Amino acid sequence: MAEALIDRQFLERLERLTIHWQKSFPGLVGGHNASRFSGSGQEFLDHRSFHPGDDLRAVNWRAYMRLERLILKMFQVEPRVPVRFLLDTSASMATGDPDKFDYARKLAAALCYVGLVRLETILVQPFADTLHDPIAVGGGRHRFQPVAEYLSKLEAGGKTDFLKVSRQFLAEYPQRGLLILISDFLDDRDAEKPLQYLADFGHEVFLIHLWSDQDRRPPWTGELEVEDAETGKIVKMNFDDESREAYTTAFDSYAAAVRQMALRKGGKYVGVPTSTPVEEAIFGPMMLARGIY
Amino acid sequence: MFFLNLSLAEFTALFSVLGGVVVALYLLDRSRKKIKVATLRFWVPADKPPEAKQRRKIQQPLSLLLQMLGLLLLLAALGQLRWGSPEHSLRDHVLLLDTSAWMKAKDGRRTLLDSTKADAITYLRSLPSTDRVMVVSADALATPATVFESNRNVLEEAVKSAKAGSSALQLTQAIDFAKQMQRLHGRGEGEIVYTGAGRMADKDDNLNLPKNFRLLSIRKGGENVGLRKVSLRRSAVDGEIWEVFVTAHNFGIKPRVILIALAYGHAPVASGRLELAPGADQSGRYEFRTKAAGELEIRLIVDDAIAADNRAIFELPAQRLLDVAVYSDEPELLRPFLGVHPWITPKFFPTRAYSADTKAAIVILDRFKPAAAPKGQAIYIEPPSGSSPAGTASPITAAMRLSWHNEHPVGEGLRTGDVRLERGEYFPGAVGSTVIAEADGKPVIVALTEPSRAVVLGFHPAKSQLRYELAAPLLFANILNWLAPEVARQREWNGESIGMVRVAVDSNLKPENIQVLNEGGVALPFTLVGNKLQFFAGAEGMVRVITGGREQVYSLTLPEVAEKQWEPPKTVRRGLPGRFSGGASSFDLWQWLAMAGGLCLLFDWLWFGRIRLHASTAGQQSIGSWFMGQVSSWRKAG
Repeated sequence: MAEALIDRQFLERLERLTIHWQKSFPGLVGGHNASRFSGSGQEFLDHRSFHPGDDLRAVNWRAYMRLERLILKMFQVEPRVPVRFLLDTSASMATGDPDKFDYARKLAAALCYVGLVRLETILVQPFADTLHDPIAVGGGRHRFQPVAEYLSKLEAGGKTDFLKVSRQFLAEYPQRGLLILISDFLDDRDAEKPLQYLADFGHEVFLIHLWSDQDRRPPWTGELEVEDAETGKIVKMNFDDESREAYTTAFDSYAAAVRQMALRKGGKYVGVPTSTPVEEAIFGPMMLARGIY
Repeated sequence: MFFLNLSLAEFTALFSVLGGVVVALYLLDRSRKKIKVATLRFWVPADKPPEAKQRRKIQQPLSLLLQMLGLLLLLAALGQLRWGSPEHSLRDHVLLLDTSAWMKAKDGRRTLLDSTKADAITYLRSLPSTDRVMVVSADALATPATVFESNRNVLEEAVKSAKAGSSALQLTQAIDFAKQMQRLHGRGEGEIVYTGAGRMADKDDNLNLPKNFRLLSIRKGGENVGLRKVSLRRSAVDGEIWEVFVTAHNFGIKPRVILIALAYGHAPVASGRLELAPGADQSGRYEFRTKAAGELEIRLIVDDAIAADNRAIFELPAQRLLDVAVYSDEPELLRPFLGVHPWITPKFFPTRAYSADTKAAIVILDRFKPAAAPKGQAIYIEPPSGSSPAGTASPITAAMRLSWHNEHPVGEGLRTGDVRLERGEYFPGAVGSTVIAEADGKPVIVALTEPSRAVVLGFHPAKSQLRYELAAPLLFANILNWLAPEVARQREWNGESIGMVRVAVDSNLKPENIQVLNEGGVALPFTLVGNKLQFFAGAEGMVRVITGGREQVYSLTLPEVAEKQWEPPKTVRRGLPGRFSGGASSFDLWQWLAMAGGLCLLFDWLWFGRIRLHASTAGQQSIGSWFMGQVSSWRKAG
């Protein structure tokens, strides 16, 4: 199934890469930046009686010498920085040529593989108007297969509601970490504020903005009957070259606003048209944005 | 102007339906487009408000006009629009290509047939593509080379592969054949077209030409002299002498003097000179002596139009002689009977020199009792008692009247008046068909077939009243013919042209006694009318006619050159059919219509089609606008 999304040669190229983030998260390890918080990394938690099968290396031998019974030391292991993917599966992602949704799945799969190779803890959380069932994996490249299968089975549908999704996400995942958001950021309501909430909460946001060429510059002219893919709303209009220019300008302004918000909050932003191959997008704009290298 | 495939009503109906579809598609194409987008938030309507009623109007009338015009032209091409009169379409012609022997005549550097083929191909190329043509090779027989065919390549190939035959043209038969083909297999009214030399074997000039006959060309050729007939036979006097009779004919209009040369085994053996008046035959007789087998070539030394009829070659067999050993003490009595046959070499021996091991083909035992019977064929004359192979012999004691059994080959044609036998013997034991002659009902001449053929004579022909009768030498001739038919058979070689061959035979000859065999020994059909035997040979070869003791070998290798030049009536249509003359023909327009229709659709696509949309979407100049820009710049420059 993995081969259906990404071919083997591409995976081999991905193994040289690493996902990067700038923030330091208290109590978390991982990443490739020096933490500003001191600590051993392992902290004693408690004792308990030894049970067959427990690791003999954790036996408190001093206590055994005194009490002549096996007592096991328990430690609190510090969690790694979570890398979470918010993947837009709304109906708007299924428009355009090439398909944005398919492109987004491939991109998410590639980034998951990069994280798994570096032993990151990965969570893929699809959403539309609400959060859907996620998948969490970690522990190496051999766990990539479940992720690939999971992504392959996803289907696009539903309205986008960034505000609701943001609230649910913050309630669901209080642990801060890196949040990679793959979406077309097209919401009837403003998507900037919900994204701002996520950043303000402490997550480092990495926005990957996808659009098709038709999304940015519609090729049609004349009398059009335009239907919104998410709401089903239909608007009849006369569309000409001037209207097209106005459309493109508005789209570029919106993309610039989203980018501005991400950068202002210490995050990263990459805009990728779906006409760009996934491999080229990863080794091009994403590396330039230093989200991955 | 008319359609081959569609009537005007059908064409109009079809165009209306397709035109309606095109207009509907045109309006549909220019109606509001339905698209599904990711969001509506960036869509800004144009300043000009949409006008819903516009889609029911024709926004680009030139585009619609071009599409309709292109459709009209393509539909007309599909209907195979033709210019001309419909009465003259769908015609089936028969092209009679003269392939008679005269077509071998020289016409400059080429032959008449080559020139005629060029005429025929020109004619085929002048016909409308819908016309079908049957190519018929016409000589003595009309042989179709193709069926009614519209594929010009097939027709031209058939014309190019035609070869001149060896028979004369039978134009009446060829025209009848063409009419029959048109009646049975043709469609519409086509023409019967003849091209050739016009040299025909038909006796009557009035060919009863049909109304649709067309004379494409007549190519007459030059002067010609040729062999008409050649006959060869052994001399009746001397078996080593060949007698050759040559008949030549002057087909031209000028008197000619020609030389004839005969070569046997490439060695000249005879020559002669013939003076030939225009249109006349002249014969010559030549002799040469040989016993050996060889090839005789007879050549007319003349420069004329046809070379094939100036030379005839015969393969002649060696002289076969029959050895006859005569054991007689009175050889002078038999010598007159045996000396008249040139193919017999009799050798006379006394009776005491008889030996049964003689190598002679026939042995004659004259009135003596041999120590041992001969091993081969034999003639016993008055054998002594006890030595007759015909059984017991009884002496003739009183004069007895001689009569013959003509049904046996030995007794064939023998008649005697009141000939009586006064001495000799008869064979009371002989009965049936073996009896050749009787004396008062008692067998006196008996033919035997076992163990080998033999004839027993109970009397000596030279010592009876029979010696004064013609039947005596005839009896010996019949006996020798019966004993050795292959050697005795009279042979004659004839060189003639192929076609109908007429042979003079005996009037009382029965058809069952006649054999007409080709080279492979296969019997050919023949007719016998009176004393004329007729058979037809359609190809070059050798035919043997065997009638009793006579064999005639016909070497049918001379071309049958017709003497008569046809003068066609002035009213007959001549030359190539006119392309526009009086609506006599029509020509195709569909190629041009299809091209024009395609151009209309191409221009519509360039100016108004999707390419313009794509080009403008990509921010590039459309091909149509580029083209129009070029045109306007040229106009300005002009």
